[in-house]
Amino acid sequence: MARIKARLLACTAVAAGLLSWGTAAAQAEICGRKGGDLVFGMEAKLSTLDQHVNAANATRNVAMNIFETLMTRDENMAPVLDLAEQLNVSDDGKTYTFKLRPGVKFHNGKPLTSADVAGSFARYKRIGIDRSALDAVDRWETPDDATFRIILKEPRATFLESISASTVPIVIVPADQSNAEPTQLKPNGTGPFELVEFVADSHVKVKRFDGYVPNKTLKGISGFAGQKEACLDTVTFRTLAEPGARTAALETGEVQIVEDVPTLSRERLSKNKDIKLVQLDYAGLNLTYPNLSQAPTDNLKVRQAILASLNMEDIMDAASDGAFSLNPSFQFPGQTYYSEAGGELYNQNNPEKAKALLKEAGYKGEKVVLLTTRDIPRAYTTALVMSEQMKAAGINAELLVLDWPTALGMSVNESKGWNFFFTTWITVTAQGGAQSLRNLADPSNVHKPVGNKSDEEFMKQFNILSSSPDLEKRKEAFAKAQARVFDQVMAIPFGAIPKIQATRANVEGYIPFFNTRVSNIWLKQ
Amino acid sequence: MLAYALRRIAQAVPILFLVSLISFGIMQLVPGDPAAMLAGPNATPAELAQLRQNLGLDRSFLVQLGIFYSNLLHGDLGHSLILGQPVLETVIERSPISISLAIYSLVLTILFGISIGMVAAMRHNRILDQIAMVIALLGVSVPNFWLGLVMIVLFSVQLGWLPTGGYIPFTEDPLGWLRSATMPAIAMALMQIGLLARLTRSTMLEILGQDYIRTARAKGLRETTIIVRHAMANVLMPIVTVIGMILSVLLSGSVIVETIFAVPGIGALLGNAILARDYPMIQGGLLFVASALLLLNIAVDLIYAWLDPRVRLQ
Repeated sequence: MARIKARLLACTAVAAGLLSWGTAAAQAEICGRKGGDLVFGMEAKLSTLDQHVNAANATRNVAMNIFETLMTRDENMAPVLDLAEQLNVSDDGKTYTFKLRPGVKFHNGKPLTSADVAGSFARYKRIGIDRSALDAVDRWETPDDATFRIILKEPRATFLESISASTVPIVIVPADQSNAEPTQLKPNGTGPFELVEFVADSHVKVKRFDGYVPNKTLKGISGFAGQKEACLDTVTFRTLAEPGARTAALETGEVQIVEDVPTLSRERLSKNKDIKLVQLDYAGLNLTYPNLSQAPTDNLKVRQAILASLNMEDIMDAASDGAFSLNPSFQFPGQTYYSEAGGELYNQNNPEKAKALLKEAGYKGEKVVLLTTRDIPRAYTTALVMSEQMKAAGINAELLVLDWPTALGMSVNESKGWNFFFTTWITVTAQGGAQSLRNLADPSNVHKPVGNKSDEEFMKQFNILSSSPDLEKRKEAFAKAQARVFDQVMAIPFGAIPKIQATRANVEGYIPFFNTRVSNIWLKQ
Repeated sequence: MLAYALRRIAQAVPILFLVSLISFGIMQLVPGDPAAMLAGPNATPAELAQLRQNLGLDRSFLVQLGIFYSNLLHGDLGHSLILGQPVLETVIERSPISISLAIYSLVLTILFGISIGMVAAMRHNRILDQIAMVIALLGVSVPNFWLGLVMIVLFSVQLGWLPTGGYIPFTEDPLGWLRSATMPAIAMALMQIGLLARLTRSTMLEILGQDYIRTARAKGLRETTIIVRHAMANVLMPIVTVIGMILSVLLSGSVIVETIFAVPGIGALLGNAILARDYPMIQGGLLFVASALLLLNIAVDLIYAWLDPRVRLQ
C-alpha cells in the first residue's frame, strides 16, 4: 500500500495539494468572528444551480459554496481530494479507489455514501456538459458505503485532472437525484452553506449548514478545497448586472463584496477608506479562434500574416481599459505547463512582414470577417482594434457584430460566413495544459479544421499531453503543441485579464479566486 | 354592455392563437442556439448534440409545435430551458412585481402628467406653460437608464435615502416596497409623464376654445367649475385611451430599468429569456403578456363605452 501511495504522490498532482499543506490537522480558529449576514453583488444573472449542466461563472459562484466534489482543484489548480480522504491507484494505472471522508452529510441530513457518488457520476455521464471527462471510464463500483472505485478502459495520466476540472464540476448530490433532468436538480449538497431561497434574476440566499464536516487534512481554504468553515450566518448573492449600480451598492454598504469592478472605477474606489480592492492577476485569457474551413483563413500564409500584423499591447489596452498583462502562452505564469514556446510569433506588430506573407499567399483582398458581439464589450473592442491593425497591413477586415446567442450559435454551428470568433477563456486556461488545449483538438465546436480533423503534429503532442504518465514529457508536449498552435495560427491569445473585486473594509479573510468562496470570511464588528 | 364585453372577449381568442403561432414561428427562425448558450463554446459537438436531444430541440418544427399546443390545452406552458421551472408558474410569480411597479408608475404618470398638462393649458403661453413644457420635453427625451443611474448616485450614494436596487414585495413590507419601487417607478414613468402632459395640454386647449366653454364663461361660472364640470369629462376621453396604452407599456416591464435596479420583473424575465434563446419561456411569457394586454384593452374599451354610450352602439 505504501508503495502505491508513494507512486501516487510522485505521479499525480494530488501531491501538490498534500505537500503544500501537510497532513497536520488545522487547529487554528478560522473565523475571526461568527455570525452576520453578507451580501455579494454579482455581475451576471444566475439562472440555475444545476452545476452539472451549466458552465456559467454565476452558477459556480453560488453552487460551489453549496456543493462539493470527490476531487477538486486547489488554489494553484492542482487536483486535490475533497469528499474523499484517500485515493489509491492500482499499479496498472487503471483502477482508482476513493475512500470517502467519514461523517459527511447532505443538507437534508442523510449521510454521504458511495451510492451518492455513483449516482452523481451517472447523472453527469448522462447529461453533464463536460462528460467527455469520463470518456476513459469503463465502469465504477461501490464495494461498500465508504468506497468508490473507478475502472478505466486504459490508463490515462490526466484522468484526475479531468474529473477534478472545475469549469463544469461533477458535484456530488444524493443518489435519488441521479435521474433528475437538466436544470431539475434539487440543490442539496454537502457544502458549508445550504440553500434558503433562489429567485432567478434577483438573488440566492444561503445559510450556514450546521451539520457541515470540513476536510481537515488541508489547513484553510485552497481553490474549492481545504478546510472550509461558514463564519457567516447567511450570504445573499444579489444580481447587480449594471456596473454603476453594483459599485454604488458597495459604496452605500448595501453589499459587502462586489464582483468585477470596472477598471475606470478602480481609482475612485481606491480612495474610499471604507472599501478594499482585491485583484486576481490572471483571471482570463482574451483570445480568438480562426475558422480554418473558410477562405481566406483556410490559407496558412494569410493566417500567419494576420498574426504578424497584430500589436497585442494596443488590443489589450483598449479591451481592458489598461488592466492587462501580455501573455505569450495558453497558460499563465506560475502554472505547471506555462511555456513561452512559439512566443516569438506573439505580439509581432509587423505590418511589413504581414504584407510580404500576404503576397506569398496570393491574397487578393478577400474579406476577412471578424465575428463578435457588443454584449461582451471586451470581445467587441478586441475585434475592432484587431480589424484596424489588419487593415493597416492591407487586409480587408470586416466586423460582423451580432448579439451573443447568434454569434455563439453561428460559431458553433456554421463553418461559413465568418473567419474569426472572439471569446475569453475564464477557467479553461487555469485548468491545466490538456484542458486548455482541448478546445483546439478534434472534435471541437468553434475550432473549425477541415473535416473536423485538427493538425496532425498538434494532435500528436496533444495525445502525449493527455496520456503520458511522465509530467516532464507532458510539459514538453504542451510546449511543442503550443508552438505548433502559434505556427499554424490555430488560435490567437491576446493577453491576460485580471479580475478586480472590492469588499467593504470590515470584510476579513476574503481571497479572490476564479469564483467566489464565502467560507472562511467574516465581518469585523 | 354585457354583450359588448362578451363580444370583445370572443374576439381575443383568435388573436391569442395568432400571437402564440407567430411567437413560436419567429423563435424557430431567429438564429442562436439555446444548447450552445447552456454549454458554452467549450463543449464538444457530441455533447452539444446530446444536450439538444435532452432539451427536445432536435425535433422537427411541427412536432415541437404539436407538443406546445397539446401542453397549452392542458394549461401547461412548458418548462424553461434555462431556469428549469414551469413557465406559467414563473410568469405568475413575476407578474405581481411588474404589476405593482406599473401601477405605481401609472399613479405618478396620471398625477404629474395630467397636472402638468392642465397647468400648462390654463396658463397658456405664460411662464408656467413654458416651464411645464420644458419638463415634459425633458421627460420624453431623457433616457431612462441614464436617469436611473443619476438617481442612484443622488438618492442612494449621496443622500442615502433609497436603496440602489432590489425589490421588496408590498405584502412583506409596504414601506420597504415603497423605498425599493420608487426609483424604478420614476424611471419608468418619466417618459409617460411627458407624453401625457403634452396630450393633456393640447386636448385641454382645444376644449377650452369650444363654444360651450365660452358660453359657460359668459354665464359667469367660476373657472374651476368650468374646468371640473364642463371640460374634464371631454378631456378624459382621449386620456383614458392613452392611459390604457401607457399601462400596456408599463406592464410589459422595462428590461433596462429592471436590470439597473435589479428588479426581477416580467421585463427582465423576457429580456433574459430572449438573450438565452429560452424558447418555452419566450413563447409562454409572450402569450401571458399578450393575454394581459388584451384584457387591459377590453377593460379600457369598456370604460370608454361607459363614458360614451355611442361606442356600444358601434
